[in-house]
Amino acid sequence: MKPAGLEIQAACLALGQFSLRNIDVTLDAGEILVLLGPNGAGKSVCLEMIAGFHRPHAGRIMIHGRDVTDLPPEQRRIGFVFQNFGLFPHLTVARNVAFGLCVRGLGHGPASQAIADLLRQFGILHLSARFPQDLSPGEKQRAALARALAARPELFLFDEPFSALDVRTRDQLRDELKTFLRDSGVPAIFVSHDQTDAALLADRVAILDRGAVQQEGAATTVLSKPANRFIATFVGVENILAGRPLDRHGTMRRVQVANVVLYATCEDEAAGEALLCIRAEDVTLRPMCGAGPPGLHGGTNRIAGFVSDIRRQGPLIRVTVDCGFLLAAGFTQREMRALSLSAGQPVMAEIDASAIHLLITGSRGPSHLSASSALSPRDQVNCL
Amino acid sequence: MRVHGVVLASWLAGSVLLAFIVVPLAGLAAMEPLRNLVQVAAMPDVRLAIWLSLLAAFLTAGCAALLGVPLAYVLARNNFRGKEVVAAIVDLPLAVPHTVAGIALLIVFGRQGLIGGPASEFLGLQFWGTLAGVVAAMLFVSAPYAVNAARIGFEAVDPRLEKVARTLGIGPWGVLVHVTLPLAWRGIMTGLTLTYARAISEFAAVAILAYYPMTAPVKIYELFLESGLDESAAMALLLLIVSLALFILFRGIARRRAPISGGGR
Repeated sequence: MKPAGLEIQAACLALGQFSLRNIDVTLDAGEILVLLGPNGAGKSVCLEMIAGFHRPHAGRIMIHGRDVTDLPPEQRRIGFVFQNFGLFPHLTVARNVAFGLCVRGLGHGPASQAIADLLRQFGILHLSARFPQDLSPGEKQRAALARALAARPELFLFDEPFSALDVRTRDQLRDELKTFLRDSGVPAIFVSHDQTDAALLADRVAILDRGAVQQEGAATTVLSKPANRFIATFVGVENILAGRPLDRHGTMRRVQVANVVLYATCEDEAAGEALLCIRAEDVTLRPMCGAGPPGLHGGTNRIAGFVSDIRRQGPLIRVTVDCGFLLAAGFTQREMRALSLSAGQPVMAEIDASAIHLLITGSRGPSHLSASSALSPRDQVNCL
Repeated sequence: MRVHGVVLASWLAGSVLLAFIVVPLAGLAAMEPLRNLVQVAAMPDVRLAIWLSLLAAFLTAGCAALLGVPLAYVLARNNFRGKEVVAAIVDLPLAVPHTVAGIALLIVFGRQGLIGGPASEFLGLQFWGTLAGVVAAMLFVSAPYAVNAARIGFEAVDPRLEKVARTLGIGPWGVLVHVTLPLAWRGIMTGLTLTYARAISEFAAVAILAYYPMTAPVKIYELFLESGLDESAAMALLLLIVSLALFILFRGIARRRAPISGGGR
């Protein structure tokens, strides 16, 4: 069986007051893992541990089946790209790319030709004599990738390389990077605190908080089915509603949210407290007249309410509906013109049962909860 | 507009200080006839004293580079218990009157001193009244400049660049040589230039530990006592010209891109 591109087995690391606990990650060749987490979660420390700058006191790190746990960084064959790309400011582009070979005395003959080929491949041959401070962000990224590739890495690590860039440049470079990583076939870990990076770049996503992986899995799963409230908040789920699970109806579970009963697709039979995660784009609104009665209709929840707030958020418009709890819906301007909504207008909100991700937490049974005591209408979490 | 006012006021205050530095030196140059300068420059013991000062200051800068730059690296790159104490010790010579420094050095480096005694007995190295003594006195008073400037230089190097270099297959020593030192070059050279300049100008500590062989400041003092202002002022001007020329040269070198850069711009 072919070994995984990267396998971290129960790695633990203590650095002063901070510690990484039981980090388990497996990446196949060519896969991109986006490691998300808030500031101070331990993302950079985790990358530095993989790169060999911190030795875990427990667990192992394997790259393509090779145990590198005890190897220093220079023997791990890892391409590391930092924020703003980390080019050496005292060296030209050509010398940056050839750095690893030159300082080991290998920068002559065929290796020199290989460097020239690499510069040509990345479209930066004409920039060979320039210094990093004279390059655009895109040129810097290409030079940094060429430099990392020159060392023939078996794993790429990216530590928030785009964090100092504007949104447009970031989008452009993200596309370039994704193409590069797909073509290279080298597995990569990309650290970010921006969920957009996860949505657009990742095959897999891991959420790190306070030194521990909270959830790890396929990007679509983690982003659409967060494992807990922290992750749901962090990955930008706009509606996180507290509820009380009731009985089952086939593949669906009834959940009481304030004074409304919603249906969510859920196999879980557990009792306890429920969190309903609903993306704003999964909420549609219809004018009340002709919308039909509230309740479940063909797998879609209908909830009556009125528009309490309309505000622009970047290219989208966010409409908040008061249904006894606050529910956020997102629309394009074109959709908004078609709906012609205004504050105070009665509307019918529609949510597919399959678009509601239901988390059941705690051990308290329904008998311990009542809608009025546990689920105050204004107590709902709503990340507007 | 407000910014202009601030800049103007700053310039006014700064100009007073600049004048305070330049006017005495310019006055020295203006009052001294060229004839006196040539006459003093022709004196072998004057030339020897200036040469000795330059040599001793150069050796001092070399010692500061060998011993002070590594200390600066440790202070810039490592956090350890007592780091502030070490940094305070480095700065201590700046707070000690140089006559006090000279006496302290004499006690330790003298013939019967804690270091001077064994050094003389086992290594045949004497400090009292020798070039080694001159260098020891100069190093004591000027080392803080080398350590502090180099430390600032090292602190300005992004540690992530050093980490990138490691992942490109270079060991810690290679990283130091090919990344850290070239990037800290300006700070290190500035520190060594200041050390050199401070060493040349040292009088009190040198005069106490190693009056002989005479460095230029000691010789100027002796000329002043023996021959009055004319000859001592002429030699002072001569030393000023030589020191300024070297100072400008070294600052020029310090401002250059590090030599490893492969063709600066």
